[in-house]
Amino acid sequence: MIDRRLFFNIDWVLLGAVLLLSGLGVAMIASATPAGRFSGLYLKQIYAIGLGLLGLVIALAIDYRRLADRAIVLYAASVLVLLYVMRFAPVIKETRRWIQIGSFQLQPSEFVKIAAALFVAKVFAESRLESMGLRDVLIPGAAVGILAVLIARGPDLGTAACLVPLFCAAAFLAGLRMKAVLGLLLVMLLVAGLAWPYLKDYQRTRIYTFLDPSLDPQGAGYQKIQSQIAVGSGGLLGKGYKQGSQAQLGYLPARHTDFIFSVLAEEMGFLGVVSVLGLYLLVIWRMLETAQLARDRVGAFLVAGLAATFTFQVVYNVAMVAGLVPVKGLPLPLMSYGGSSIFSSLIAVGLILNVRMRRFAN
Amino acid sequence: MRIYEDLRVVQARLGVLQSLAVGLMTLLGIQFWNLQVVRGKTFRALAENNRSRSVTLAAPRGPLLDREGRVLVENRPSFNVLLTPEHADDLDAEVSRLARALEIGEAQIRERVARRTLFRPVVVKADAALADVAALEARHLELPAVSVDVVPLRSYPLAAAAAHALGRVGEISERQLQLPEYEGLGPGALVGQAGLESQYNRRLMGTDGFRRVIVNSRGLEVAELERQPPVDGPPLTLTLDSRLQAAMDRAFAGRAGSAVALDPRTGEILAMTSTPAYDPNQFTTGIEPALWSRLISDSGTPLMNRVIQGQYSPGSTFKLVIATAALEEGVITPSTTFYCPGYLSVYNTVFRCKAAGHGVMDVHHALTLSCNVFFYQTGIRLEIGRIAAWAKRLGLGAPTGVDLPYELAGLVPSPEWKMRIFKTPWYGGETVSVAIGQGQVGATPLQMARLAGAIANGGKLVRPHLVRSADGQPLPGMEPAEIGLKPATLEVIKSGMKAVVAEGTGWRARLPGIAVAGKTGSAQVVAKARLEKTPTAFAILPHGWFLAFAPADAPRIALAVLVEHGGSGGEAAAPVAHDILAAFFGLSRPEPGTPGVTDTEAE
Repeated sequence: MIDRRLFFNIDWVLLGAVLLLSGLGVAMIASATPAGRFSGLYLKQIYAIGLGLLGLVIALAIDYRRLADRAIVLYAASVLVLLYVMRFAPVIKETRRWIQIGSFQLQPSEFVKIAAALFVAKVFAESRLESMGLRDVLIPGAAVGILAVLIARGPDLGTAACLVPLFCAAAFLAGLRMKAVLGLLLVMLLVAGLAWPYLKDYQRTRIYTFLDPSLDPQGAGYQKIQSQIAVGSGGLLGKGYKQGSQAQLGYLPARHTDFIFSVLAEEMGFLGVVSVLGLYLLVIWRMLETAQLARDRVGAFLVAGLAATFTFQVVYNVAMVAGLVPVKGLPLPLMSYGGSSIFSSLIAVGLILNVRMRRFAN
Repeated sequence: MRIYEDLRVVQARLGVLQSLAVGLMTLLGIQFWNLQVVRGKTFRALAENNRSRSVTLAAPRGPLLDREGRVLVENRPSFNVLLTPEHADDLDAEVSRLARALEIGEAQIRERVARRTLFRPVVVKADAALADVAALEARHLELPAVSVDVVPLRSYPLAAAAAHALGRVGEISERQLQLPEYEGLGPGALVGQAGLESQYNRRLMGTDGFRRVIVNSRGLEVAELERQPPVDGPPLTLTLDSRLQAAMDRAFAGRAGSAVALDPRTGEILAMTSTPAYDPNQFTTGIEPALWSRLISDSGTPLMNRVIQGQYSPGSTFKLVIATAALEEGVITPSTTFYCPGYLSVYNTVFRCKAAGHGVMDVHHALTLSCNVFFYQTGIRLEIGRIAAWAKRLGLGAPTGVDLPYELAGLVPSPEWKMRIFKTPWYGGETVSVAIGQGQVGATPLQMARLAGAIANGGKLVRPHLVRSADGQPLPGMEPAEIGLKPATLEVIKSGMKAVVAEGTGWRARLPGIAVAGKTGSAQVVAKARLEKTPTAFAILPHGWFLAFAPADAPRIALAVLVEHGGSGGEAAAPVAHDILAAFFGLSRPEPGTPGVTDTEAE
């Protein structure tokens, strides 16, 4: 099925960096879960990576254009699955996000992101307008908005928010007029910037809780403080692998999932942080380069959408760990523990490799 | 269809996105530099603060021993049931289960949980019974947040005996936390709240130790960094003799009042009783509010230490002061006599004595038979100024300096005092009352015991004290002070006091083979009782006093006994003194006394 020539065109740098980050993730998960009911989770993460690589190979094998041709079907399926989750999925940690398949818990929203990327890429690629105004992106925007709302009802505001950069990046590349882009950004910034200082604390809390009912400001505050302590106390060189008191004594919440980067920062220090951020930047850079090299618009939009989501997640998660943004349940792609997250991340990487290796083929 | 689409716009705009990604990553890098390198020290301190905790190791308070080394107060191990809410999977259910297992109210537990500090265990039940501990052990799987701690608990094996001298412990109060002497102590600390426990609190407390431990986020200890063991409070050896104390308590059974016995040579207090008393064991785990309010509202004032806080009219025991003053001032000589017709009419008032009259009295016989008229006459000649001065020289009207908190001074009235307080001049008739220890004169039993001791030891005012040595070191400043009495004066007073017991009003205190010197007294409370509208006969009976020392020629014990509303001193107090003295001299059974004179004394 795969042409030998295509095999040589795989971006081994991107794949290598992705595997390195995943491996680092496993090591940090092992450090964050030394004993107790979470010990051994790193093994499950290794299985998930194995499964993810299988998914990556499949995503690589099928020509992305054939997948994009079925984007409408995937979109419809996404809506149906999300509706099903909303109505029938079991309540886990006060949210409906997961569906049970055998002994596996699957988080459909992670896969909806990929379907959305394909859908947006297809829609914008089909549009042959030289330049687009805000009105031209209204209908695809609404379609993605429906997905976002369905995910946010989970409630899972973090994953829902990932669809925003996905859509914006694709629309931006599709030729949304710079004036429209700037206007959009300006209006959003102005509204947020002007309103925010005038809100009282409890009003902000209300906005948070309106958007995300699972949010507990006190709990979130505790997490933020503990994460900052973990990061800051790591210093330049870190406390050493499995030596971080914040992580090892359990002061860090969600340390093997959303706050895995805190464990890294505490135990590996600033040098470790810079190295890993460098690796992420390399991955993002190669992704965006792939979009530039893509042979057609659909490939470029698809890669750009996936890269934007990936970048958003990395930046938001790391900024959250550093205490710069409110705490949200958003995992760090490739490193956080979680089967659905690693699986969908690797499939996305597979699609990006797919676009790059077929850049010369017809 | 074009084979190659025009991707120039796309590529140009991708460049923008790449710059954006680099910019964001750089910003994040700067923030991490700021957190980890610039502010690293601050966060390292916070992390250290997070993980290590100091746990106090309470030093057991020093035991109190009697003069022979017998235990009066000690510590016993007790079980505290603790609940650490952070360890519970389902706190509500666990509280319910715990309440059932201990058979206490759920609300009580919830209230304590509500007032706790985070990650600190709450004491749900102090001094739990072994059965409770066994019940909890059996259910420990369903009670993951419950633990049992062994703590030293103050124990008073003699219960109420000498309770007022020994005192009690309790949690430090808000007010005490502000005082310099409790510096360094935190809320919840156990400190002395009365008696010696309070007076010598710092010495008894020893030095608490501590452990620095590493705790995880649930407060569970995972390792120990450092340990400083507590230093036990040193034992305090008291002057009390627990056997004499027991005899005194027995002698006092069923009576209200107080007694104190001291060694007249040193001021060492051998025994002291104040009744009604209370059991200090009830305070050690925090007294129940109902019991506390009963104790403080009880008209018998069980919390009051009457030995140092009861201020009574000394009655005829004050005649010792008048006789001493008059002999020293030369107002009378041993051979001066007055005629007693049974009353004295002076200042338009009739002052009474024994109805039949005592006839011709010298000072010796006046003491023996407690003749009022003789002392009216002597008092009038002495005048109030010299009476007050001598009363003060003999230790009245000022605290004795005993090593107990809240000692009261008593009162020696004088014209200056009356003018200051009541803004009225002194009347001559008042001097007549004061001469027989009535009126405004107020003295504590301890002051009167010291007065008896001063006559016994040849005119020295001792400083009464309860502690012999702390940790083997004798306490300083215990030297008796010379009053400056003529031997002849002492001789007259002593022989009078010997006769009081041998043939006078104090005959009930007589001992076989041992000469006892004594003086009876009655503090009239009729007027007071009428004022307070207390109609019962019991309340109208006077307080009976008895002062004594023995053996009369080489005294080893001086004693004051006061029986509230017991009747005359000879009837009410002398028998109590007899039992105490008999026990002191090892005479097991009180000898049945033979009446020497009639009971119709005038006191």
